[in-house]
Amino acid sequence: MAKTYEEINEKIKNKQAVVVTAEEMISIVREKGVKKAAVEVDIVTTGTFGPMCSSGAVLNTGHSTPKIKISQAWLNGVLAYCGIAAVDLYIGATEVARDDPLNKAFPGRFKYGGGHVIEELIRGKDIVLEAEGYGTDCYPRKEIKTLINIKDLNNAFILNPRNCYQNYNVAVNRRKKRNIYTYMGILRPDMANAGYCSAGQLSPLLNDPYYRTIGIGTRIFLAGGVGYVCWYGTQHAPNTPRDENGIPRGGAGTIAVTGDMKQMNADFIRGVSMTGYGVSLAMGIGIPIPILDEEMAKFTSVSDAEIFAPVTDYSHDYPNFTGNPLDWVSYEELRSGKITLEGREIETFSLSSYYKARQIAQTLKAWIKEGDFLLGKPLETLPGEGSEIKCGKLKYRPV
Amino acid sequence: MQKNIFLHFSRELVDQPIMSTLIRKYDVEVNILQATITPNEEGTMFVQLRGNEEKLEHALGYLVANGVDVMVKPRRIHFHEDLCTSCGACVAHCLPGALYVEEDTRKVLYDEDLCIACELCIPACPFRAVEMAKTSVGGEV
Repeated sequence: MAKTYEEINEKIKNKQAVVVTAEEMISIVREKGVKKAAVEVDIVTTGTFGPMCSSGAVLNTGHSTPKIKISQAWLNGVLAYCGIAAVDLYIGATEVARDDPLNKAFPGRFKYGGGHVIEELIRGKDIVLEAEGYGTDCYPRKEIKTLINIKDLNNAFILNPRNCYQNYNVAVNRRKKRNIYTYMGILRPDMANAGYCSAGQLSPLLNDPYYRTIGIGTRIFLAGGVGYVCWYGTQHAPNTPRDENGIPRGGAGTIAVTGDMKQMNADFIRGVSMTGYGVSLAMGIGIPIPILDEEMAKFTSVSDAEIFAPVTDYSHDYPNFTGNPLDWVSYEELRSGKITLEGREIETFSLSSYYKARQIAQTLKAWIKEGDFLLGKPLETLPGEGSEIKCGKLKYRPV
Repeated sequence: MQKNIFLHFSRELVDQPIMSTLIRKYDVEVNILQATITPNEEGTMFVQLRGNEEKLEHALGYLVANGVDVMVKPRRIHFHEDLCTSCGACVAHCLPGALYVEEDTRKVLYDEDLCIACELCIPACPFRAVEMAKTSVGGEV
């Protein structure tokens, strides 16, 4: 018997909804079977916390007297994009502070950037805004330097073009001699370690592999506040090859998300410094998945042992876009701390925090149980398998 | 019991079989983590000693009596639990296993006794949750 969003939301309002986390769902389905689980469970909550580079924030500072049309701006020395209306700014997660030595003394430490500005805003810290304008009749002011604080901003919302990757690479370094410094962490030579980055069985899009319930308008946990899926993410690739259970064998679906920063909690949104690579932002996201029918109960019971990630050489295959994974390994193996590759045991490390992913799934579960958080029925689900959306190479046409 | 110690051998000592005597006569386990001899032939060594309290005390006594400079735990890192997100990026870089993922909770924990202050975790941490403590020879300032 199928359930509707409306029926589930009615149960939430009456505090009668049965909510479990994606981790708890695994054993429920194992014990009771898909059929019974689909009847008993209304919602499965998911969670993930990890660096998500394609992130940033829209800020509206309010006008000074006299007014300025900002053409260049820095927040704590980090360049913000101003090619929009007069006092609207976009601060991107990976923008590095202007006085940073970058990789001149390799590997650079990248101590501060856009991701850190976003974290500090959310922590309620004052931020130095320096801005310039060229001056117009309607916006005569040419420069301003002032402290700003999130509580005084007209608007501050996260607007992330790509988050929550459905599955991801496992990174290794096949070079014989030196470390490589990547967005997947420090990879020691001769495959001495392997970095991975997914919450696996707790990860949102891995629990709804064909995006039956996730789409534009889905209400989500976004960094401690309430947010929304607003579009499919950049590089959304629903046609990535899948296993029999529907799980893609590599990076596939992505989502674009938005949400009010004033509600957010810095425990779930943190600036990131990747040695030798740059700065970024770690985002905490949780998505509730309605158990509309048996198929959704089955999807949400997926476990780490059934999700496989491609092992990729970041010293050659990744930078050269060869698309040749060395092998596939399960998240169960990855999380054990060791994988076997080419007959060798290799130590693993994670960039995604399973500890925080669990906290997020539990928090979202509590919100829903308390009746505070209703499901958002998507107006459109994400483009699925068979759609024309692709993630291709650049068509290079030199001029 | 385990002690992480930093040893300095003066020029006159580098050709003496001090470590081998330590192992044979004082019955302690020695794990050499780092050893260097500088061009003017002074030696430094970073070692973990394991054994019961009495044996360790005798072993350290032997080193000091033979003119080796012994510094117990000369360097330290500070692990800021409040900044740690428990991602685990540090653990594959921590050779003695001082930073590790607790299996049940998936929380990253730090065992100061195992730490050798090699500093490899510092660049590996995306959240700057580990840093070197300010130290001078012989201990923390």
